[in-house]
Formats: sequence, structure tokens, C-alpha cells
Amino acid sequence: MVTPSADTSVSNGVYVPGGITNGDVKPSLSTTPLADFLMQLEEYTPTIPDAVTGYYLNRAGFEASDPRIIRLISLASQKFISDIANDALQYCKMKGTASGSSRSKTKDKKYTLTMEDLTPALSEYGVNVKKPYYFT
Amino acid sequence: MADPAVASGGSLHLGGRGGSGSGGGGSGGKAATSPAENYYLARRRTLQVVVSALLTECGFESAEKAAVETLTEMMQSYISEIGRCAKAYCEHTARSLPTLPDTVVTLVEMGFNVDTLPVYAKRSQRMVITAPPVTNQPATPRALSAGQKRTHPSHIPSHFPEFPDPHTYIKTPTFREPVSDYQVVREKAASQRRDVERALTRFMAKTGETQSLFKDDVTAFPLIAARPTTIPYLSALLPSELELQTLEETDSSEQDDQTDSENATGNNISDDPGADKENSMLPPGGVAPAAKASEDNVIDNPYLRPVKKPKVRRKK
Repeated sequence: MVTPSADTSVSNGVYVPGGITNGDVKPSLSTTPLADFLMQLEEYTPTIPDAVTGYYLNRAGFEASDPRIIRLISLASQKFISDIANDALQYCKMKGTASGSSRSKTKDKKYTLTMEDLTPALSEYGVNVKKPYYFT
Repeated sequence: MADPAVASGGSLHLGGRGGSGSGGGGSGGKAATSPAENYYLARRRTLQVVVSALLTECGFESAEKAAVETLTEMMQSYISEIGRCAKAYCEHTARSLPTLPDTVVTLVEMGFNVDTLPVYAKRSQRMVITAPPVTNQPATPRALSAGQKRTHPSHIPSHFPEFPDPHTYIKTPTFREPVSDYQVVREKAASQRRDVERALTRFMAKTGETQSLFKDDVTAFPLIAARPTTIPYLSALLPSELELQTLEETDSSEQDDQTDSENATGNNISDDPGADKENSMLPPGGVAPAAKASEDNVIDNPYLRPVKKPKVRRKK
């Protein structure tokens, strides 16, 4: 954490540099809620096992001192993937209802994630995937 | 068509069973993989299971295999990138252990909205937790090692890699210094000569005709049979090559003396020494140096003969 200098004030763990009039510039990043959230992480286990995330982090050079940080990272990557999956689901639903199917059952309950849905969803994130059309 | 193979809720059941290293069916795992491959693929398979679980939670019933693979690859690289970036941030501030703010800054840099994370965590608590982590299989093969590695000297810390095998840096000369002791060399030469003689005589006895000393036992002590020549006295009459050479030398030396005295033309008389030489071969031992002058210059080269000119008959 940052060490405050003498002329600034530290309130609720956020470093406010001196000379900034209150209300003009708000610090966009505050770690306090996450620090509390980290405490809650102890009982909640993310979907990805700690060992797997820890293995991939170790390969990148990240040696975690606190296992909760690993859980935080695995949670973040989970959310990342599920956001993409949700976007793909939206695309899938859009394609389904756009053709004007029957309204009796709102939509076919079985959704299949295909590359045609995933590609535009990923392109919004700046990831361009091009898969070969046919391969056995 | 084999593709798109759907990885449906069956993958979730796999999670319940427990994804171990040797691995249940997984998504299309056909043949048995080696333990080394399992070691690397096990975590990948776990990630695939996780991705499938997340998709199911979103509401998908099934998915294309390519899509699952894509998302798995993205998740793996996402985790790796977070690790690398967080480590870089923490080292940037002269620390070595990453902390929470490092991770948060990393997530912000990757475009992740950190505020939504607690909300997401609370929401997804209803999802079933996937399989426990895979069992560790150390996949380092024991390299072929010959000999014992040297131990570290005291100034090298123990966590450094070991020295390589001694055969990589130790040089042994392939030759041995020859023995130069006089006695040994002399003995060796004598024994070699004796062996050569014996071997040669045995070879001659075995390949040629033999005569034996003992009447009953022919093979013991075979002697090389003597070959009698047809004219036994011929060798006594004919001088050997060595004698011939000395004969020629003495002839030429006496002829040089006579050439100085007579001072005859060398061409006419040059035939006579040749004829004399031929005559002198027959009478035993007797050399009649009646020959006149031969060439002026004496040929030193033993391989050269003086030129023989044809007889010129003078008709008078």
C-alpha cells in the first residue's frame, strides 16, 4: 500500500493527494471494498480449483503469498468467460427470435453455443477468431 | 459428421466423478496418453470442465467443441496474462510478492470492471463446485547419466543446477605412452623375431612338402622338404648377383687403367669389354681383364649399364 506524505490525509484507505479540491476529482480506484470482499472469499470457492489457477500463475512467474488472491483471480477469469458466454447467448437468442418463430414457447429451450454466435461476441472484445469451415 | 461434437451436460457429470489424471472420457479423449502428457493435459481438461460448467450456468444446453476449445484457450491465456502483469506491477514497485492492489491494477489494465466482481461472486454461488484438483504426476524423465556428478564447491549455493555428468568435461587420452626401456624393447624385438621365424617355418611346412624325422608320426616335427635341383653343380659355377656386381666393378676399374695407357677410340673397343665380360662369366673365378678402354666416364648409378654399341667391322 502507498505511504501518505505529511500534508495529505488518508481516509478509508484511499490516498488523496493534496491540492485536489474535494468533489472535483474522485479517485477512480479504491481497493477497500475488494479488501473486504477478500475476507468473504475464504468461504466461497470459485469454480476453478486453486491448484489449477495456481499452476498457471506459477508458470507466468506469479508466486502468490495469499491464497485468496488466487481465488480472486480465478473468479475474475470466470466472470470474464461467463460475460462472453452471456453475450453469445444474446446473439443466439437474437437469431432465434428474429426469424419470427412461434410464440407459444418463447424460444427453443435448448441453446447450443456455436462458433457463429461466439465470433461476433468475441469481436466486441477485440478478439477475432477465424476457424476453418470444415475439418473432420 | 464427427464435428460439431457436442459437449453437453455430460461434461458436468464428469466433474462430479472427479477428473483425475488418467482422466475420464473428457471431451473426445480417445487413446490413452502417456503420463507426461497427462501431467500437462490434466489441468487443461480441468479448465475445459470449468468452461463447460460456466456455459451451463449461462443457460446453454450444449456447445460446439471448437467453441469450448476457444474459450478454454482464452481462459488459460487470461490467467497467465494476469499472473505476468501482476508480477510486473509488483516488481515495478521494488517488491517481490504480489499483493491485492497489484492484482486490482492488473485487472483494470485488462479492461475488467472490478466493481462488478463482488456482485458476480454472490450471484454465482449457486453453481456447483467442480472437481477437486488433479493429482500431481512428476513428468521429468531421468536423463541417461554416467558416473557421479561433482558436488558444488563451497562458493556456489545449493539451489543452483548441478554439474553435468563427468564424461562431458573429463578428457582421457586414448593412447598409452610407448615403453622406451632398453631392456624391454630388446626383449620384445628378440621375441618378435623368434615368433616370426617360427611362424614362417611352420607356414612353409604346412603349405609345402614335408619330410618327417620320425617314421611313425608324420605330423610331429615336420621338416621342410628339400627340393633337389636337376643340375646340382650349376649354382657352384654361376656367380651370384653380388659376385657379378663386384666382378663388374673390378673389371671397370682395371679397364680404366688400361684406357689411360692405350688411348684408343672408345667406340670400336667398347664392344670388347662387353664381349670379354660375357666370356669371363664361364671360366670359373678367372677374370681376364684383356679388355681395352671403355667409356671415359664411370657410371655411378648401379641401375645403369654402359651402352652396348654394335660391332663395326673394319674392312681393310
